[in-house]
Formats: sequence, C-alpha cells, structure tokens
Amino acid sequence: MSFTMKMNVEGDTATIRLAGELDGSSAPDLNDLVTQAVGRQVGRLVLLLDELTYMSSAGVRCLVFAHQKLPRGSQITLVGTKPEVAETIRLTGFDRSIVMR
Amino acid sequence: MLACRLRIDVRHVSLPGVVADFIEALAGEAGLTSRQAYWLRLAADEITTNIAHHGYRGEGGVVDLSGEIEPDRLRVSIEDDAPPFDPGCYDPAPRLAVPPAQRDEGGYGLLLAMGKVDEFHYEYVGGRNRNTLIMRLLGGANADGPGGHRTG
Repeated sequence: MSFTMKMNVEGDTATIRLAGELDGSSAPDLNDLVTQAVGRQVGRLVLLLDELTYMSSAGVRCLVFAHQKLPRGSQITLVGTKPEVAETIRLTGFDRSIVMR
Repeated sequence: MLACRLRIDVRHVSLPGVVADFIEALAGEAGLTSRQAYWLRLAADEITTNIAHHGYRGEGGVVDLSGEIEPDRLRVSIEDDAPPFDPGCYDPAPRLAVPPAQRDEGGYGLLLAMGKVDEFHYEYVGGRNRNTLIMRLLGGANADGPGGHRTG
C-alpha cells in the first residue's frame, strides 16, 4: 500500500501526478497539496491518474474539496483515469463537475 | 469451505491498508476477478471506515472481519459493537440531487460500499452490527481464476 504525489505549477495551472492508492490514510496529504495549489492562485487543476490504482470515497471527497477551494469556474481535469476509479467517480455523480479524458 | 478472521482496532494508523490486505488474500484464494476484488475491497474499506468515523465516532473500538469461501460465493462479514446502524437505510438520493460542487464533502462511502457487490445484508445480532458482503464466484472463461491478476 503506497501513495505518492508530485505537483508542478505553471502559470495558472497546477498539475499533480498521483500514484498508488488514494484512501482514508492518504487523502489528507492530497488535500494539503490542493491547499498549497490554491495558495499559489491557480485556476486550473490537472490530475494525472494513470498510476492511481485505487480510490475510495476519501479520494472523491478530495475532488469535492478541490472543487470548493479553487476559484469559482475553475476547471478540474482528470487524465488517464483507470476504469474502476472512473466508475467510482461516476457512481457519486461527480463526473458532471470535472473533465475526464 | 475456507474461513479466516481478523480483529482490528479501528484506531489502527492504516485501517484501510489492513482491510485491503485481508480482502486481497481472500479474493486470491476464492479466485475473484480483478474487478470483483477491487469492488469488494472498496466495499469493505468503506464499511469499516464508516464504522470507525461514525459508528465509534472516532473513539476506538474493534471491528471483526471474517471471510468464508463457499463453492459459489465469497462471503465477508464485518461486525462491530457501535450503536445499531443499517447502511441499507441510507438514502443517497437527496445528496446526489445537489450539484456536486455544492455538496458536503462526505456521504459517498456507503453509496460506493453497496453499489458493486453482488449482495449486501445487514442484521443486528447479539448486540452487534453485522454487515455481510457477498461476491459470486464466476469461474470459467470470464474469471481471472485463482492466482490471476488482482488489483491492489
């Protein structure tokens, strides 16, 4: 069980690569990183998820947290989401508020 | 029939990880597909996390997980001593009706827990909550088979 993340900020876009498993143990770390991104005045968040193998509801709450912390109208884009993770997001209806590609 | 049990204090620093290991081992023995193993793990994770946060209100307590591999199904029972709570009575509809950006952060766990297992049962027995998760064993060409690839 491991989880790693790395953030790169360019202009108004924060790109965060997540790898491993996003659950109740690791979610607070992602929230901290999102808070840092918000502090750098970003208006767009890109999450690279091709190496994220698991996401529980704690991870979905991170997406909601990010959506609410970023400036109104900000875009959240998920890239490379694995099928089960994408299905988890769709089950909660949150896919309507983000871009998944 | 293979059976195994695990008792864990919900204050364990890596409760989701311990539950995942338990489910992964069972799923491997039972020959669940990788998708089945993923959703069963998610369900067990969500149920135990909910017990820890809401059942015991973060104050600690034990959760007993047991797994039984039957000829046609894998049965996982999760028992706790928190006040009676039937996850089946949780209605996610009002929450899902709210635009996601305006929702509370929480409340998704039970929705996910019950969404993908083949059967979910709840009973209050002997002063304990018992949540039962069942995955049917597919077998044949559609299954990964014992020892096949598993997520986790």
